[in-house]
Amino acid sequence: MIKKILNSGALGALVIALGFVILGLGTSIHRTTDFIIFCIFVIGFDLLYGHMGRLSFGHMLFYGSGAYAAGLLVRYGPPNPYLAILIGICAGALVGGILAPVIVRATGACFALVNLAFNQVGYFLALVAFAKFTAGEDGLSLTFSVIPFLNLTNPKVFFGFSLFCLVLTYYFMKRLTSSPYGILLRTIKENETRAQFLGYNTFTYKWITFILSSSISAFAGALSTINYSYVNPSFIDPTRNVEVIFAALIGGTGSLYGAILGGVSYMLISNYLARYIPRWEMFLGIALLILVFKFREGIWGSIRGEWKSRVEG
Amino acid sequence: MISTLIYGLTIGGILYIISIGLSLTFGSMRIVNFAHGMIYTTGAYILVAVLPLLKCNFVEGVLIAILVVIPLSFVIEKYIIRRLYGESIDYAIIATYAVLLIGVDLVKWIWGTSPIPLSDPVGRSVTCFSVTVPSYRIIIIVISLMICIGLWLFFKKTIVGKIVVAGLQDREAVRSLGINVDKYFSIVFVLGSCLAALGGVLYAPITTVHPYMGFHILLISFAVVIVGGLGNLKGTTIAAFVLGMVMALTGRFWGPAAEAMVFAVMAVVLIFRPIEV
Repeated sequence: MIKKILNSGALGALVIALGFVILGLGTSIHRTTDFIIFCIFVIGFDLLYGHMGRLSFGHMLFYGSGAYAAGLLVRYGPPNPYLAILIGICAGALVGGILAPVIVRATGACFALVNLAFNQVGYFLALVAFAKFTAGEDGLSLTFSVIPFLNLTNPKVFFGFSLFCLVLTYYFMKRLTSSPYGILLRTIKENETRAQFLGYNTFTYKWITFILSSSISAFAGALSTINYSYVNPSFIDPTRNVEVIFAALIGGTGSLYGAILGGVSYMLISNYLARYIPRWEMFLGIALLILVFKFREGIWGSIRGEWKSRVEG
Repeated sequence: MISTLIYGLTIGGILYIISIGLSLTFGSMRIVNFAHGMIYTTGAYILVAVLPLLKCNFVEGVLIAILVVIPLSFVIEKYIIRRLYGESIDYAIIATYAVLLIGVDLVKWIWGTSPIPLSDPVGRSVTCFSVTVPSYRIIIIVISLMICIGLWLFFKKTIVGKIVVAGLQDREAVRSLGINVDKYFSIVFVLGSCLAALGGVLYAPITTVHPYMGFHILLISFAVVIVGGLGNLKGTTIAAFVLGMVMALTGRFWGPAAEAMVFAVMAVVLIFRPIEV
């Protein structure tokens, strides 16, 4: 019975929710909401990197398309935040679905670079080509309508709502990665040819996974637009890709807890430690080098390793 | 129209000079080298720093920039790239990107974030076919063609070049002949970095010198390398000039779209010719 509950992920969800509530009480609500949204983004990214073994260097594109779709809807259509989130997710899925047939053919380095190239194109579209609608560099500042029952413009309500979204994403991913589909993803990561031998059409699976990953990222983007109530090109800036990669690496790839721990760690570093670090990019670069050469398993990976050696030894 | 053609050849030449180093690193070590962009930026900044400091002329400045880059690229090769050999390619991307970040921040620390304009070192223009073109552009095209021929001779005629080409084809076979392939590949890496610095200093007078200049050109160079085929030197050469033309033609109609158009061409190429890495 206890094992069943443990495996269902209910306990994990509870721990995550409690952790964020404590963090929210300890720091500020607005900032913690930002943390939560970033964690959703890291989960979306890690579905591709940790589970399918494809490093995307352009995931800001999907984050940004979600953010911009939500922002444009609110500016030029009904300012309903729920509709904005929905449209944001759809936009992410659409962009991912269209680009995936080109992107998922590539592996390894090509996969990363092609993503980065498309991200650059998306940045250009938002910054220059559609500047008439997106207001270019200035971005759009948005006002959302007040929904009587769950008013997302209230920071506390939005905090609860984002936390609910994170738990929902967590639960969805937990089910997904422990299903036969999730096992197939890991097979693709380890040996794609083998998966093809077993009769699976890996192209379709990669396509679907890519769409899922881009939708989750766009979900985070749309939520972030509501949190900040503006959207500008920094939401789709290709040079910011390194943030999510850093978060996924520091937390430990291929695990949901790792993604969430990584998201929180990165946000804590960038929000609180950054004040004492005069050269932020250099710090990020050196930290990345340490992560790559010395600390590959990440925080969650080392916790798990320690746990295993305790139990066995 | 002819000025567009010349402009396309100029960009193509610069792209060729930069991409060949990337292509060599990828072909030899299977590593996608983001640090290349940092070398490129460093080259241009050294030139900017050296010109007023030593009161030397442009050519001397270029030579100094290239000389400074040699030990730098040697250190990167020895402590970063060499350690990544045989590892997962994702770690190589992340680690070299980290080097790029550190480099960009160092440049910002030393020279500040504001772009530095650099005047045309030649100044004169030539008129051919009733079009006036700055002669500096012509010089760039000539230099890139010279490098093209020089590299061709290097890979065909010299023993070092032949070892490198053989190593690109089949690393293990060359090793089994008792040749230390890694040593030759590190020579190639330094050579590629010198070319990146050369590309940086040659392109600097056409655009401005700013800390993120490496990032943009690097993305386009990656597109060149992907279109040309990773590690395929002949393909890279053709792709560089073709994409240079694409940029010039797009830029003629709508300037900002030039970069985006390169990636569109890359996407089309990828659809019809998926790459196995």
